[in-house]
Amino acid sequence: MADFDAIVVGSGMSGGMSAKELTERGLKVLVLERGPEIVPERDYTDQLAPWQSPNLDSVAQDEIAEHYPTQYGGVAYAIKESTKHFWVKDDEHPYVAAEGTSYDWLRGYHTAGRSIMWSRQTYRMGPQDFEANKQDGNGVDWPVRYADIVPWYEKVETFIGVAGTAAGLPQLPDSVFQPAFELTGAEKALKSKVETAFPGRNIIPARIAHITAATAEQRALGRSNCQARNRCEHGCTFKAYFSSLNATLPAAERTGNLTIIHNAIVQSVEYDAASNRVSGVRVVDAQSNEKRLYTARVIFLNASAIASAMILLQSKSATFPNGLANRSDQVGRNLMDHVSGAGANGLMSGFDNMKVFGRRPSGGIYIPRYANITEKNKPYLRGFGYQGGARPLGNANGQIPGIGQAFKEAHRTAGPWRVSVGAFGEQLPNPNNRVTLHAARRDRWGNPLALFDVRYSDNERIMLEEARKDAVAMLEVAGCSNINSSPVNLTRPGNRIHEMGSARMGRDPTTSVLNGWCQAHDIPNLFITDGSFMASSACQNPSLSYMAFSARAVDYAVGLLAEGKI
Amino acid sequence: MASRREVLQGLIVSIGGASALAACGGLPTVVSTSPTVAGRFYTRREMALLSRLSDLIIPRTETPGALDVNVPGYLDGLMSDWANDATRRAHRESLLQLERSLEQRAGGEFTLAEESVAERALTELDAAAFNGDDNLRGYRNLKGYITRAYFATEGGAVEELKWVSVPGRWDPAVEISS
Repeated sequence: MADFDAIVVGSGMSGGMSAKELTERGLKVLVLERGPEIVPERDYTDQLAPWQSPNLDSVAQDEIAEHYPTQYGGVAYAIKESTKHFWVKDDEHPYVAAEGTSYDWLRGYHTAGRSIMWSRQTYRMGPQDFEANKQDGNGVDWPVRYADIVPWYEKVETFIGVAGTAAGLPQLPDSVFQPAFELTGAEKALKSKVETAFPGRNIIPARIAHITAATAEQRALGRSNCQARNRCEHGCTFKAYFSSLNATLPAAERTGNLTIIHNAIVQSVEYDAASNRVSGVRVVDAQSNEKRLYTARVIFLNASAIASAMILLQSKSATFPNGLANRSDQVGRNLMDHVSGAGANGLMSGFDNMKVFGRRPSGGIYIPRYANITEKNKPYLRGFGYQGGARPLGNANGQIPGIGQAFKEAHRTAGPWRVSVGAFGEQLPNPNNRVTLHAARRDRWGNPLALFDVRYSDNERIMLEEARKDAVAMLEVAGCSNINSSPVNLTRPGNRIHEMGSARMGRDPTTSVLNGWCQAHDIPNLFITDGSFMASSACQNPSLSYMAFSARAVDYAVGLLAEGKI
Repeated sequence: MASRREVLQGLIVSIGGASALAACGGLPTVVSTSPTVAGRFYTRREMALLSRLSDLIIPRTETPGALDVNVPGYLDGLMSDWANDATRRAHRESLLQLERSLEQRAGGEFTLAEESVAERALTELDAAAFNGDDNLRGYRNLKGYITRAYFATEGGAVEELKWVSVPGRWDPAVEISS
């Protein structure tokens, strides 16, 4: 008899949702988290006032060089003295990029994973995103369509809480919303002028996973409305923004069906050839190096697109000599992220007598994709969205002229407003973009290092060049002055922390790893519902989709269990 | 309330390293370094220059100034505990260059110059720095350090910026006159 009904590998964005849905259906679930436990009362630092953190809350430069060169290089804004414990030390968790390439693998190993540090931008994929592969021939056709996932988007959105406004845009379908964070005057002006000058382009309030009108379900979990502190990267004592730790894991825990084991690094998944089922996972304890086996009737991999692929590749057997569930040879391939590095900013006058109260969390505005939707015949496939906002220039860290009283007080007067927009572009699926197991190098637990070989295509390069031009044009029509737009400098692959695609879903078992239920084609009781399943990246922030597909996959898996099919 | 000139003079005669400065007029008690005594990182001469610059850039008004909240001490800690050797070297070199440049503009020792003279010299230099003079990038960096340190203190954040720990709401359109 198995130890558990289900094992979920990973406690982050998708693992938390898998655990919640499985436990709420009565299954006894083991969640394995490779990092240590995060205890909010101990580890959140959002209650620290700025003056309670020394040295501008900056991590010492020598310490960055020794422990965080990649993490800090990728997300310097989030790695502070008071938050560094949410990020891995690069020297303890090394990886390798193929010669001539670079890759940002930005991570946090602890309860709830990166759901503690995510940017909380929350968007549905649109109908076009599920049809793009089929239409232009890149990647494989999604085995699902938008209509299939709508009920699961609604379920997840209702649970997590998404602040936003209904816009009625076909390409960016509305979610179940709580009240949005209202646009500033400068943002409204930008919206008005851009939408007039460019019919088909829209500017909407960023849709973010922050509670603004807590539901009874959310209050029952101890969650309350966002207090507009913008201390999110420190954790949130109010549990106002969604994270596994703030919502899904507590929901799973209250069922009495959840067991979480920390410091459990999964090394392989056990496979029984006779029954063609996975039966458990082998782990090594990160602290004691003790090795253990846990068994279950069904296994969900939610370790992240990279880690889940590596676990599969490490799980070799006579049946699967190239890695578990990898008859298609697609495990680890088609690794995607979003691409940035193009945008513009400028000053907008007319609001000098206005300021804001409160600190809006996450983004201000979002410009949904228009390329190849409302504007056709672009010199690239697919498209991008912009994130951005407008805020008073006031507190510019001293980088404004003047000294004395006027300079001092300029930091609390609004002055001109700076408008900025930055593109997030879709990366085409490409089987040559992949993560594999390094042939020689291993980590301290004996696991092979990840070896990345990811390169952008001309499509991404051309797209971002055009995105830069478009950004400048929109700021110009909005009447901005002092427009700055640096030459395009593509973010390193991985830098947007939206890795996905490494065990893609598809209709054909010979060309894809998963079917439309996130179920392995090769093994019926193995599900992967982190970003691995994504057959294309779209251009929207993907976490909502990971969670919706997780909920849907659980519903399907539990049905199969009930029917005795797995 | 003492004038900032009086505050600075009070600091200059203070000998003996870090001392408690009870600011006048109900301002909070802050632990201050002295412009005449070396810090952990800064030499006595550097400390004097940094103190003068901090006072001129962010003076006491109806809210605490940079000296009231001990910006020089904050930066002394920053350079001692946060900066690496390369940053320390660059910072020290830029201070030296800055001192020379200000001496030229003030027609003598900048730290001892009359307030009006020092203010005029720094105003000129600041204008040049923000008008594209690449030789003054070190000054812009230093001004950034001073400003960030000031607003990272309780006095700068709460009293000057009106920083609120828990705003509780978001209002995107507040008229400044209100």
